[in-house]
Amino acid sequence: MSTTIELRDLRKRYGRTVAVDGLSFTVAPGEVTAFVGPNGAGKSTTMRMILGLDAPDEGAALVGGQQYRSLPSPLRVVGALLDAGAVHPGRRARDHLLWMARAAGLPRGRVEEVVELVGLGPVAGRRAGALSLGMRQRLGLAGALLGDPPVLVLDEPVNGLDPQGIVWIRGLLRSLAADGRAVLVSSHLMSELEGSADHLVAIGRGRLVADTSVRDLLAAASGDRVVVRTAQRTEAMTLLANAGATVSATGREVVTVSGLPAERIVALLSQRGLAFSEVAAHRASLEEAYMELTRDAVEFEAPATGEA
Amino acid sequence: MGRLLLAEWTKLASVPRWVAAMMAAVVLTVLVGLLGAASSTSDANRYWDFAVGPDGRSVRDDFHLAHRPLAGDGSVTARVASQAGLVGELQDWARAGVILKEGLEPGSRYAAMMVTPGHGVRFQANFADEVAGGGTGARWLRLTRAGSVIDGYESVDGTAWRRVGTVDLAGLPSTVQIGLFVASPDAVQVTRQFGSVGIGGHPTAATATFDNVRVEPAGSPPGASWTDRDVGRPALEGDATERAGGFTVSGSGDLAVVPPEEDVVRLSLTGVLVGLMAVVGLGVLSITSEYKRGMIRTTFAASPRRGRVLAAKALVLGGATFVAGLVACLAAFLLAQPTLRANGYGPPAFPRASLTDGPVLRAVIGSAAVLALVAVLGLAAGAILRRSAGAITAVILLLVLPQLVAAALPVSAGRWLQRLTPSAGFAIQQTVERGLCLPEDGCFPEGPWLGFGVLCAYVAVALAVAFWLLRRRDA
Amino acid sequence: MRQALAAEWTKLRTVSSAAWLVAAVVGCTVLLGSAMTASVDTSQCPSPASCQEDTVRLVLAGVWVGQVAVVVLAVLAVTNEYDTGMIQTTLAATPRRGTVLLAKAAVVTATVLASGTTAVIGSLAAGRAILPGNGFTEANGYPPLSVTDEPTLRAAGGTVLYLGLVALLGLGLGTAVRDTAGALLGVLTLLYVAPVVAALVGDPAWQARLQKVAPMTAGLAIQATRGLERLPIGPWAGLGVLAAWAGTAMLLGAVVLQVRDA
Repeated sequence: MSTTIELRDLRKRYGRTVAVDGLSFTVAPGEVTAFVGPNGAGKSTTMRMILGLDAPDEGAALVGGQQYRSLPSPLRVVGALLDAGAVHPGRRARDHLLWMARAAGLPRGRVEEVVELVGLGPVAGRRAGALSLGMRQRLGLAGALLGDPPVLVLDEPVNGLDPQGIVWIRGLLRSLAADGRAVLVSSHLMSELEGSADHLVAIGRGRLVADTSVRDLLAAASGDRVVVRTAQRTEAMTLLANAGATVSATGREVVTVSGLPAERIVALLSQRGLAFSEVAAHRASLEEAYMELTRDAVEFEAPATGEA
Repeated sequence: MGRLLLAEWTKLASVPRWVAAMMAAVVLTVLVGLLGAASSTSDANRYWDFAVGPDGRSVRDDFHLAHRPLAGDGSVTARVASQAGLVGELQDWARAGVILKEGLEPGSRYAAMMVTPGHGVRFQANFADEVAGGGTGARWLRLTRAGSVIDGYESVDGTAWRRVGTVDLAGLPSTVQIGLFVASPDAVQVTRQFGSVGIGGHPTAATATFDNVRVEPAGSPPGASWTDRDVGRPALEGDATERAGGFTVSGSGDLAVVPPEEDVVRLSLTGVLVGLMAVVGLGVLSITSEYKRGMIRTTFAASPRRGRVLAAKALVLGGATFVAGLVACLAAFLLAQPTLRANGYGPPAFPRASLTDGPVLRAVIGSAAVLALVAVLGLAAGAILRRSAGAITAVILLLVLPQLVAAALPVSAGRWLQRLTPSAGFAIQQTVERGLCLPEDGCFPEGPWLGFGVLCAYVAVALAVAFWLLRRRDA
Repeated sequence: MRQALAAEWTKLRTVSSAAWLVAAVVGCTVLLGSAMTASVDTSQCPSPASCQEDTVRLVLAGVWVGQVAVVVLAVLAVTNEYDTGMIQTTLAATPRRGTVLLAKAAVVTATVLASGTTAVIGSLAAGRAILPGNGFTEANGYPPLSVTDEPTLRAAGGTVLYLGLVALLGLGLGTAVRDTAGALLGVLTLLYVAPVVAALVGDPAWQARLQKVAPMTAGLAIQATRGLERLPIGPWAGLGVLAAWAGTAMLLGAVVLQVRDA
């Protein structure tokens, strides 16, 4: 189980709009790759091209080194959830999975396995049109997991899930990656993937903005900043600057320090007898890190489109 | 309600596909009308050889006449003692009676009282005006002249007279021809098999005996005497013999306006049938698309009085379709007429149709109204069934299939199908009365309004059901 | 291909609308056929023998309505997937689009052929029961309907084939148009409006020309067992015209499916 998704200079335009503009990245096995970007950034188009639904104008999207369309048994290689609403409302949930199983040549028993796996058991006999959005999302996930594929492509799987469901799906994503699968999950809300994503691919206006591991990103965004809360701001700033740190006033009583570890700051302040109410090492959330990235992307994009 | 109408109009006009569908309906209506006109030819004018009536229309003025002149005011009275078939069976429309005619040339003005075996006593003047008698089984007939006014009377016993009709033939010369006439039209036989029709016809002749023949004043003009002749060109030669106070007259032919062989107005509006399909789709989708996308909940949340929503939808849809349909039908009519005339559909066999004629205007506006009604029928069906496929199929089955099936069934069964289904609405396109009215020619024997009323009734019932269901069901 | 067939068959049998439509194919065909047969009797002709009524065609006339259910079934088989977006899942499961269309065609056509056969047998049975009562007796020159009679067999079998081809026409157009309303209106216009317009055209030569190319009038020539010389087009040639329509529609659908993004 070590199949990758590989995008090479992927390009797609609809009429005069460029939806995806020279996108290249790789989704590695054993990792959850968060695929983020604002609405309309080209996430869904990219995923549709991976699945051979839309043909790229240039470049290629390869799964395990092959075009999706040439996979002999695609559901056993890639499990996909694109649109949870894309089911016939009159067909029972179980029957929806059954036809997919037939298309992949899987035994009927596999349907019951995935129904249990996603917790759809009590409603599997209902018509798909009568399912709640959350249940339909689970049905879509069941379909993706049906062929026990080494690659998963999930478009906004968290949509419509209740808080319990979100916790559940985070755990599911982690365990899927732990099995050695390559998992590509898109979202426009980075916080939804907090704690489950290993890798981050961010796009804006169809172009790659960041392709980085989540650990590196967080470290870069957090830096080694320490937040100091003190009534004697000016004195503290002078002291710490003299000690070699970069300091900036970020509030009336708040100083943000980088370049010195927290323990050393506490020692310095105590030696001088400066009172402080808090010394906290700042840790950026994934959301913050992502916002920072996309903000840069927007600033970077604006003149570039002007030239074009 | 004003705001609702505006909201529904915005919905309709803001979906490019629907605007396109409406345009497609217009274009298809015009285009198919033009294609129909271009692919229709008639050589009726080549053999068209009928007398021209007083109003310029082609008429049959063929009968056998025993006559004498009458100067000034006066009257002619006769009793039709018997009427019998001479060649072929006695026809329902065989005519025997008294006539007062301006002259003996075919097409000249006249007034006549007559008996017919199938349609009773009738007063007829100048081919087009016909009044039925009292239905009392009268055999005594009388025409009186006072100046230019002719009155027709009937009587059961020759003493009590009842006036049936009157006509003012302005400028009638002082001396006219009066007499006894007999006519018998061609027998037409329609044999219908499944999918094919055979029409056979042969000329007939009838004979009638007249007694109690009296002309008053008898001596005006002096020396007037009875002679007999064929007027026009009856298919079979007639004859008349005089016997003590009575005559036996036999003859063939008819006195009637000759209907055009084809309804050129309806022919140029054939495209409505195709434009209709787009309109049905539009009507159905205008509501089912709201159900499919769940938008109906937004609509009902914005205006909780659902009946009003339906009414606003119907008004907007019907209004928009009517306007588009009117443009289409006017264009189709105006563009197709020159082509049709060039293809042989010209006078005299086909009187020139103009928008100022009542029936033509009725057909053009009525066709637009049919399109609008069908759109609303689609809307109602969509509201009832809530599924596009079902609603579209149901409406089209009701509108188009009867026209196909009616053509295959025996004439009487076919007519019932024509009358009872919404496809009856197409009757409004009819502008001429035909001699032979068959369902497969799109001919409705009851005339334009009954069928149109049937369609209106269907739309009303469908809307009522939709209204009731909308209020009863959850959105 | 085998898996695609199994998937399409599962899809078709797991929506209740399909079962209703199959019932409608049989029910409408037999009912309308019986009603039309019952309304025609020999008393409308000068003598029973001179009716020359094509009783086989009369009895099978129910397909005029029955075919509508076929059209809806075939069109919905594909447009429903576009309406709901399920086509994405279908093409992700079977990326070879030609295979998907072929599998759909095979499953829908097989279903239609089976229901069509039932409908035709039912109509013939109903006709056998009704016809003698309306004067169409052996003595009057109308032997009881039997499929051992070659023209009757051709008409009956041809009617089943007709329904199959109509299904392909609907499926092809549905795949090309990707919209339920549009495809349905397109097919119904071709089938129903074309003959009505043809009947209203004033020139007999053009009437015959239109009837020769209109899919319904041409295709149903296969039902004629009497007066073949009066038909605008021969039975098998007529079915061929319909086959050409169906083939064109399928080709169009296949091209659109291949070329356009899902």
